[in-house]
Amino acid sequence: MVGKKLNLAGATVFVAFMALLPLVFDSRYLIGVLTVSAIYGIWAVSWDFMSGLTGRENFGHSLFIGVGAYTAGFLNTLLGVSGWWSLPAAMVVAVLFALLIGLPTLRLRGPYFALAMLSGAVIMQRLMLIFWEHTGGEEGIHGIEPLIRSQLVFYYFVLGTLVAVTALLLALARSHWGLVLRAIRGDEATCQAAGLNVTFYKIASLLISAACAGAGGAIYAHYQLQVSPQLFAVVTSITIITMVYVGGMASIYGPVGGAILLVLLTELLRNFGEWRLMIYSCALILILFFLPNGLIAPTWQRIRARLGRRR
Amino acid sequence: MLEILIHGAVSSAIYAMLAVGFTLIFGVARVLNLAHGSFYALGAYGTFVLTTHLKMPLLPAALLAVAFVAAFGVVVERVFVRPMRRSQLGVLMITLAVALVIEQALFLTFGSEYRNVPAFVDEKFTLGHVDVGGQRLLALGVGIVAIGALWLFIQYTRLGSAILAISQDPVAAGYMGIPSDRIFSIVMALSAALAALAGILAGPFLTVQPTMWLLPIVKAFAIVVVGGLGSIPGSILAALMLGYAETIVGYLISTSWTEIVSVAATLLMLVVRPAGFFGRRAAF
Repeated sequence: MVGKKLNLAGATVFVAFMALLPLVFDSRYLIGVLTVSAIYGIWAVSWDFMSGLTGRENFGHSLFIGVGAYTAGFLNTLLGVSGWWSLPAAMVVAVLFALLIGLPTLRLRGPYFALAMLSGAVIMQRLMLIFWEHTGGEEGIHGIEPLIRSQLVFYYFVLGTLVAVTALLLALARSHWGLVLRAIRGDEATCQAAGLNVTFYKIASLLISAACAGAGGAIYAHYQLQVSPQLFAVVTSITIITMVYVGGMASIYGPVGGAILLVLLTELLRNFGEWRLMIYSCALILILFFLPNGLIAPTWQRIRARLGRRR
Repeated sequence: MLEILIHGAVSSAIYAMLAVGFTLIFGVARVLNLAHGSFYALGAYGTFVLTTHLKMPLLPAALLAVAFVAAFGVVVERVFVRPMRRSQLGVLMITLAVALVIEQALFLTFGSEYRNVPAFVDEKFTLGHVDVGGQRLLALGVGIVAIGALWLFIQYTRLGSAILAISQDPVAAGYMGIPSDRIFSIVMALSAALAALAGILAGPFLTVQPTMWLLPIVKAFAIVVVGGLGSIPGSILAALMLGYAETIVGYLISTSWTEIVSVAATLLMLVVRPAGFFGRRAAF
């Protein structure tokens, strides 16, 4: 009980902090950075829900992000559809792609899912360049309308979406459903023997993950006001995976912290410019070797334990 | 028609060199090496550096590059893969991270522009009524010889038998006194050398830039799924199928659609027959 209250208190303090930051330091630059960090939070938490819980690593999360963003871009620039419709549309398209890759690969054990997602993202990026007449090629799509004119209100909308997505996925992860997903990670054959439809659970969690990532992609498109094939790049997926590893796999709330921490750190490392991705990938190797449980979730658990004892 | 036959054979040979190494290290050590495409990239860049900056003649430069990449493969296996081998996902993660570090290192040293790797043969040859670049024919020839030599090595030498034994039953091979760790390093070196060779031979007519490792991984994965994970004959057959399928799609429909072929083939095969043509166990 105490733990639950402390979790709630911790989350409230964190959200209040994130919400008050732009009011204290009134700078457009800071609001921009915070918006990006919240969008990365949505992507990281959606990755963690599927891959962290079931242990099926998704090397092509950028596929869902990219198709979500391009859906929003096409709908907005070609058909003039309002941004509010492109969010659900992006989710639907991302879910369709998830079905296309998840159905054949997730019923199998082994690395097929991880590699098929990677291939899917790589090929989609190539296709965006090859069919440049329709997709704008390297330049992508420009002139997307903003979702909300005011930068600050848009930031609160993104922050609210992040909180809602995290709360939803956290609730799912702590329910019976999440228990099954964790059990699949532990021992798939036993789950099957217990009469659970393992494939159904894995595919359903991928669809949820893809829908959130697609929505995040559409939000990103309406924030940047343009989309480019770089969204599909493998580095996008790796960045998200690094954030999850920093946050702590399968903790759901950890990756949100990881995403925000890394985006802010990246801004501080701005002077390093080209070295940014190099630093990311080296950090990932170091974490894989020395911090397999991540940084944020274990830290929070330690703080919580200490606060709980003091009562 | 003859054009399809020749160009299909050339791409098949390059794909086969990539896929055989990829499937070999999986079959023997159960390691799915996502850094395999990086070996291909390093082969091309190594030759580029040795010929352009150090002004070495092409043939020794190419051989030195192959040797360097093979040694690098051993380092990757010892330092990064071995501590992670307990978990399949750990291996996937660490090799992907290594591949990204290599990509970024190439980007930081050489920039993102395309580099020219010199060709061994510059002339064009006319076979029947088709003009083919000499370098492409050379890639075809060297590919066939290299894979043939690998096949003979595995079938007829003591070391080859040890490799086969481990791929069939690692525990029993251990009981027979086969040092599996040393064999893994040797296989990694072989697989890296083949990939580097493919990069050196294909470099002159494909693009050499830091992200060039990605497509080979996608193609090698498709080939290995179609042929069966861990099977060398399977991956040779599947390399032929993919090479010709892409060439035919390129001629009949449009070269724009060739990239779809590999992913479509992967997904289709996983629906129809997940073990591939020659896979020994269903989805292991």
